[in-house]
Amino acid sequence: MSVSEATLPEAIDGGSGSEFRRGVMSCLPVLLGTIPYALVLGAQATQKGLSAVELPLMTGLNFAGGSEFAAIQLWTSPPHIALIAAITFLVNSRHFLMGAALAPFLGHLPQRKVFPALFFLCDESWALGLADAKQRASAGITPAFSPRYYMGAALAMYLAWVGFTAAGALLGPMLGHVETYGFDMAFPAVFLVLMRGMWKSVAAARPWLVSLVVAALVYLFIPGAWYVAAGAVSGLAAAWLMAGDA
Amino acid sequence: MIDMATLLTIVLMAGVTYLTRIGGYIVLRNRVLSARATAVMEAAPGCVLISVIAPAFVSRNPADLLALAITFIAATRLSMLPTVLIGVASAGLFRHFIG
Repeated sequence: MSVSEATLPEAIDGGSGSEFRRGVMSCLPVLLGTIPYALVLGAQATQKGLSAVELPLMTGLNFAGGSEFAAIQLWTSPPHIALIAAITFLVNSRHFLMGAALAPFLGHLPQRKVFPALFFLCDESWALGLADAKQRASAGITPAFSPRYYMGAALAMYLAWVGFTAAGALLGPMLGHVETYGFDMAFPAVFLVLMRGMWKSVAAARPWLVSLVVAALVYLFIPGAWYVAAGAVSGLAAAWLMAGDA
Repeated sequence: MIDMATLLTIVLMAGVTYLTRIGGYIVLRNRVLSARATAVMEAAPGCVLISVIAPAFVSRNPADLLALAITFIAATRLSMLPTVLIGVASAGLFRHFIG
């Protein structure tokens, strides 16, 4: 352990600050796409009765945008605690694969650094950190994963997300009913773009179609928020059954 | 300012999410998933996302369906920011002029 720690990038002190800055800079274009829907999430949350303290608490402790959009979408007063926790788990279950993909690059780092760093794992910090590690690996740089670069990108993302969701919550009451302006269409828009990013093939997307049809039918005929769980579970069952074809 | 049920929900969300973040690193780093389990894990995020927005696909409001169709097309070729702007603008405009 002491040997691997001695080879960490911070041992080369001159490079650590610029590595952090490099991470922040690479995250800036991503923020252009993030800030508008952080504001929308904040505005939508106030419509559901969350305060300008509660929402940043959610985005600051949870820091996973997709699950926060889903939670706000399903929010009632009082909230269905178990349903929202379960949906949060399902929406964020992709983190398992992301963490697994990153794991081989984290082998040289002590766990007391990996566990705090993983708190800031989001789609963006993961994509930037992994892409950078793969690039450095092919350039022959060891260790390939740059913790400072990752933390630069992740903290820029974190501060922007928490800050602008809070700003959206504060500005929300001034906007009135955001639905009348069409802001609620931001949810389908964000989710559809995220899904395009996950698109592999028509065959791989068949479980999504199963989810859509089942969720829509349950939504039309069964009151409450069961459509999310019904759609998700039937899609996963379809993926399990269809995996035999591949 | 902070409702207890809301606080409990937020803390549970945070705990569950952090488990997903460290879970892949802890459980999967020294293992190879079966092809079937990998297929299910890969399909999961999309299944959940489409289920959450499924009500939009069966809206009874023609303006909403029209806006969703435009948003869908935008999502297949544009990045996040323009897609969100187009979705919000088309929903706002169609609701104003159609219904």
